[in-house]
Amino acid sequence: MAEKKEKEGWEPKIVAVVCNWCTYAGADLAGISRIQYPPNVRIVRVPCTGRINPFYIIRALQEGADGVLVSGCHPGECHYLTGNYHARRKFAMLKRFLNYLGLEADRTIFTWCSASEGERFAQVIKGVTAKVRELGPAEKLVKQQ
Amino acid sequence: MENIEQKLREEAKKLLADKKADVIVGYEQGTLPLSATPCFITNPDDADRLVWNVFCTHNLAKYVHDILSAHKEAQKKIRNPQDRRQKVVGIVARGCTTRSLVIHLQERQYSRDEIVILGVPCTGYSDRKKLSIALSGEEVLEGMVDGNTLKVKTASGDTQLVLTDVLADNCLTCRFNNPVISDIACGEAAPAMATDKEYDKIAAHEALPIDQRWSYFFKEMAKCIRCYACRQACPSCYCKICFVEQTQPQFMGITDNPSDTQVFQMLRIFHMVGRCVDCGSCISVCPMGVDLRTYLKKLDKDALELFKHRAGTSLEDPPPLSTYSEHDQDDFIYNP
Repeated sequence: MAEKKEKEGWEPKIVAVVCNWCTYAGADLAGISRIQYPPNVRIVRVPCTGRINPFYIIRALQEGADGVLVSGCHPGECHYLTGNYHARRKFAMLKRFLNYLGLEADRTIFTWCSASEGERFAQVIKGVTAKVRELGPAEKLVKQQ
Repeated sequence: MENIEQKLREEAKKLLADKKADVIVGYEQGTLPLSATPCFITNPDDADRLVWNVFCTHNLAKYVHDILSAHKEAQKKIRNPQDRRQKVVGIVARGCTTRSLVIHLQERQYSRDEIVILGVPCTGYSDRKKLSIALSGEEVLEGMVDGNTLKVKTASGDTQLVLTDVLADNCLTCRFNNPVISDIACGEAAPAMATDKEYDKIAAHEALPIDQRWSYFFKEMAKCIRCYACRQACPSCYCKICFVEQTQPQFMGITDNPSDTQVFQMLRIFHMVGRCVDCGSCISVCPMGVDLRTYLKKLDKDALELFKHRAGTSLEDPPPLSTYSEHDQDDFIYNP
């Protein structure tokens, strides 16, 4: 693992699945406020965190993502009223399950970030990138061609 | 056991004769010694074929779903709604089967008046793989159960086995061996099993180092040949188009790459959150002996810890992922 990190100048690849109404707008705010954050994140916009099928997360890990971040509206602030409450249950189960299988807990990260929290969004990305960098490249579950 | 069987036959005969049920789904004597196989009885005279013993393995709720959904699909072709008729299925159900029925009812797959439940108490079923190991893989020529002993005749002679040694793992720690819902109860309630040891194996697996857990998962999933027998046998797997067969868009890789198999199993297992009743059907049909229970039971344990939910135990208790509470645990949420 350490070899790969040094040899190829490895940079973590992180897939962020974010909700349209809060975190995506938050990311937008971070952008227009010119707040700096690591460029390791690829953002996927979905209508709501409640829409995220756990399959997306597992599939991203299979396709070689080093980390997956899921972020939506704070509890109680969902655009669809209860989408993120339902998502929270799903993710609580998923996170425990993936860790139980033997995938590192820090590769799947869940957080909330509202549209006004540009600064927080940058902090989240910084934190997540640091965590994933610590873990090194993902090797478990990754589909080797 | 015999009384239960007798009562079962009488009740099944009565249901069919009175036209209260169109078909009874139960177990009959298998073609091999020490086995029972699912059967479908439509004629009252055939009700005597029904058996109830420790070899009744499969969760019959699967067939109830199959029969009723096929029937409804066929009825759709009858243009005039008044001419459509309802089919009533009688089912011989132990604890885990009734839990599956509860799940189907909660998921609105059919209504309560479409099924008649012949509830039977259960003391566990024998695991064919354990039996085969105990007999060193020798073929069973004859066999009979006598109390807690299993008398088996093989090519190398007669052997006696203790029945509790060959019971399936899920039966040994079963909490719901009596039906949770029932229309006609056959027999006295069965004694409780060792429920205090229910999550012992899971707790032990949780305590392993992470890399060891992964290598165990890798090793187990490497056995899987993706025959999908687990999915076919599972009463909770009833999607018309399973995610593994969906092609537009294609969800799953269908190669023999280990990662594809792992992802398939991860997702099939994860679909069982709050829906797995630990009936052991998937495990009993698995030709490769993949240890699925370690993972399925973990979901059960987590759902209990996080949401105080046990799958299919009550019609009023909603499935855990279809409801929420504002006070759900959120310690896993990342805060920078």
